[in-house]
Amino acid sequence: MAGVTLSNIRKTYGALAAVDDVSIEIRDGELLALLGPSGCGKTTTLRMIAGFVAPTSGTVKFGERDVTRVPVHKRNVGMVFQGYALFPHLTVAKNVEFGLRVRGWDKAKIAARVTEMLRWVQMEALAERSPRALSGGQQQRVALARAMANHPEVLLLDEPFSALDAKLRTQMRTEIRELQRQAGITSVFVTHDQEEAMAIADRIGVMNQGRLEQLGSAEDLYKRPVSRFVAGFIGKCNFIEGRVTGPGRFEAANGSVLQFTGAHAGGPAALCFRPEHAVLTQSGAAGNSIAVTVKSVTYLGPVTEYDLVSDAGDKLVVSASSSGDAAVPRAGDKLALGWRLEDAFVVD
Amino acid sequence: MGGLSLGRLAFLALVVAIFAFVIAPLLTIVWVSFFSEKILAFPPTGYTISWYARASEIADFANGFLMSVKVGLCATVASLAIGVPAALAIERFPFPGRETIRQVLLSPMYVPAIVAGAAVYIYFIELEILTTFQLAATFSGLVIAHTLVALPWTLRLVCASLVSANTVSEEAARSLGANALQTFLYVTLPIIRPGMIAAAMFSFIASFSDLEKSLFLVGPGKTTLPIAILNYLEWSLDPTIAAVATVQILIIGTALIVSDRFVKLGKVF
Amino acid sequence: MREGRNWGGSALVLPALVLVAAFLLAPLALILRYSFDKYDPVKLMLGVFSPGNYMLAVADPFYQNVLSTTAYIATLSTVIVMLLAFPVAYYISRVESQRLRGWLIILTMLPLLLGNAVRSAAWMIVMGTKGVANSVMLGVGLIEEPIKILYTPTAVVIALVSVLLPFAIITLQSVMDSIPTSLEEAGQSLGHSPLRTVFGVVLPLAMPGVVAAAAISFALAMNAYATPVLIGGPTIKMMGPAVYDQIAKANNWPFGSTLACILMLATLLLTVLSTRFLSRKYF
Repeated sequence: MAGVTLSNIRKTYGALAAVDDVSIEIRDGELLALLGPSGCGKTTTLRMIAGFVAPTSGTVKFGERDVTRVPVHKRNVGMVFQGYALFPHLTVAKNVEFGLRVRGWDKAKIAARVTEMLRWVQMEALAERSPRALSGGQQQRVALARAMANHPEVLLLDEPFSALDAKLRTQMRTEIRELQRQAGITSVFVTHDQEEAMAIADRIGVMNQGRLEQLGSAEDLYKRPVSRFVAGFIGKCNFIEGRVTGPGRFEAANGSVLQFTGAHAGGPAALCFRPEHAVLTQSGAAGNSIAVTVKSVTYLGPVTEYDLVSDAGDKLVVSASSSGDAAVPRAGDKLALGWRLEDAFVVD
Repeated sequence: MGGLSLGRLAFLALVVAIFAFVIAPLLTIVWVSFFSEKILAFPPTGYTISWYARASEIADFANGFLMSVKVGLCATVASLAIGVPAALAIERFPFPGRETIRQVLLSPMYVPAIVAGAAVYIYFIELEILTTFQLAATFSGLVIAHTLVALPWTLRLVCASLVSANTVSEEAARSLGANALQTFLYVTLPIIRPGMIAAAMFSFIASFSDLEKSLFLVGPGKTTLPIAILNYLEWSLDPTIAAVATVQILIIGTALIVSDRFVKLGKVF
Repeated sequence: MREGRNWGGSALVLPALVLVAAFLLAPLALILRYSFDKYDPVKLMLGVFSPGNYMLAVADPFYQNVLSTTAYIATLSTVIVMLLAFPVAYYISRVESQRLRGWLIILTMLPLLLGNAVRSAAWMIVMGTKGVANSVMLGVGLIEEPIKILYTPTAVVIALVSVLLPFAIITLQSVMDSIPTSLEEAGQSLGHSPLRTVFGVVLPLAMPGVVAAAAISFALAMNAYATPVLIGGPTIKMMGPAVYDQIAKANNWPFGSTLACILMLATLLLTVLSTRFLSRKYF
């Protein structure tokens, strides 16, 4: 087992950079999620780790071994494909055995390993079935057993849950996470679903337009996003447009001055906070509240969402617990929207 | 994947070599059609385009060409006229045994051409003895045989475009009050038009280049171009025949490039 | 349009069915009948029913030889065609540029649709004693005097391979198109080299295409006419020309019909057998 180091990898197709100068150090045994919208370069990055795509520049290392120019079949990676890519002409057991056939092992050793892997994913009973006769979740388990049979150094998962329905998806991701932890294998998994990434990854790399925007734990990304893209992509976020005019001093478009903690260079920026971190009150304190008008109220059961517009024209959302018998704001009400100083942050 | 390995280079070289093997003879014949000497020698002593003029003066070639075009056009029209309704029946009006019927209609493609040609020839003569209606060595006889050559192509291509065009828009048209004929004319037909154009092209090509089926059915003064070429080749091989072949290559190549714009050629089999 | 039985709609199939029945199935039935008749130089046919022609064709060393030559050349050509078609079809179905792919398919189909007359003419020019092949080999000093290529079995096989190759390539590539590339990637991620992946994943999955392509190649080779006549010359006898000679030249319809029926039967039989064999081996 070893970690994976990507150093300044870049992949260009003509003038288009699919992946632009990405460096990530994936720790030994860690499960890293690459998260981003489609076309952000996350899949290309994964395929460069696997060896299906050769980087235009930069290096890929497994532990100390530079594998940048090593073809796929000599890299010793395990991969779970989108849609699983199980061989339809082979049984479940033969699928798991497939990678072992090039090992030069004797029959008994291969058979033992196949049984071990199928037991690991609880698929022994279906060993002689055709993959076509399996449910989505079962196919997923076989795909994982097949990928892990070879004792790979790195496990790669390409949108592994996209073919499953919502309920099974939640169940399978817990299951896969548990299996990955048992095996202690360095893993990279690509997804466009932020909830999925946050639920199972140790760390998440958010990608956008070929670049790695931010790498960190789910909490880091949610609480301290470094860019407007990350703030908007991970959870919902409110943006008040304006500019930073001094240390801790933010001026909204209509001239009202707000405060923020932390450092940010002067110039155009946005002050952000999460919908659940703000409260509607009759009047707010200067520095961490603004005047808003309620546009619409949506009752969602446990919470109620209020669509607001600030005096400066920013569209904002706030969500509040539905319980409580206090007078509920109604559309058209003019109120103040306030937040705790430490819940607000500024991005470009 | 990822870079050019030695194995991949060898693979590419093999593919190029095989393509060369398929294409080289055709390029050669085009080249030869410009040789100035009648007796073939490589490399040539000089080049001329006069063989094209000479080829057009040879009655067998000129008439054969006209005959092939006429027969091809008639066969194409006929095979569309009966093939499109047949395709429609098979794909849109499910009836018992339609797979068998489909196979029967495709069978002219699979029955060996020389056997089918011989059988049709004997059949025509027997028919003539019975009814005094002559088909062998007549234009109509050729058109009938060539319609059979063309029919499977029409059926395949039109069926394929009917399958890929889903029935939802037809159902939508019906729900909006169109009757069966209107639905066909205003919805189905425009959708399958690319398939029909390709079907026409392929039907024409199949008829135009057919040799084996026509072999028995041509008569004096009613020779198709491929048969004229065959007869000429049994006696001599010179730039004249190369010029004729080049013309045929041009015609069929053009038809192919045109059809490629309407259907994915890789899917016609 | 879908609900219920629409017999009016189904009737649209009738014109095509009538045409095929009247001008293909009926003629085939007719020659099957004639194949049991007896030839008479004066009356042409006696109207009897006997298996005599079949006995004659099977017993006569000449026709034994024709049939075995035909089967041999057809088998050899088919094997070579499959070996060559597979890599080309694989290349076409995996090439990334759609433009290149389109051109490669046109390039493959052009010779296919050119017809046998033109294709044979081209090979005659290439393989003749003073042809391109000999001139080139003489020129580079590979041979000292022209070798005989045309009118040999080798020439027939070469020409037939070029006839059949496009059929096989197009059939195979359309099957390979339906094999997801992710299966090959899975193979490689499991430690199989690209070449090994082709044999372990692509070949088994393309097997229905391989069988179909081999069957169509074999049938076409068995029944070839122009290629053996023009490239093989008078000394190499194959079934296609023999059928033509008997029916059109010798006017011996009963025996010609017998040969035609034997040809069809042999083609069918060998195709079915080889399909069974390949199927059993791979499925």
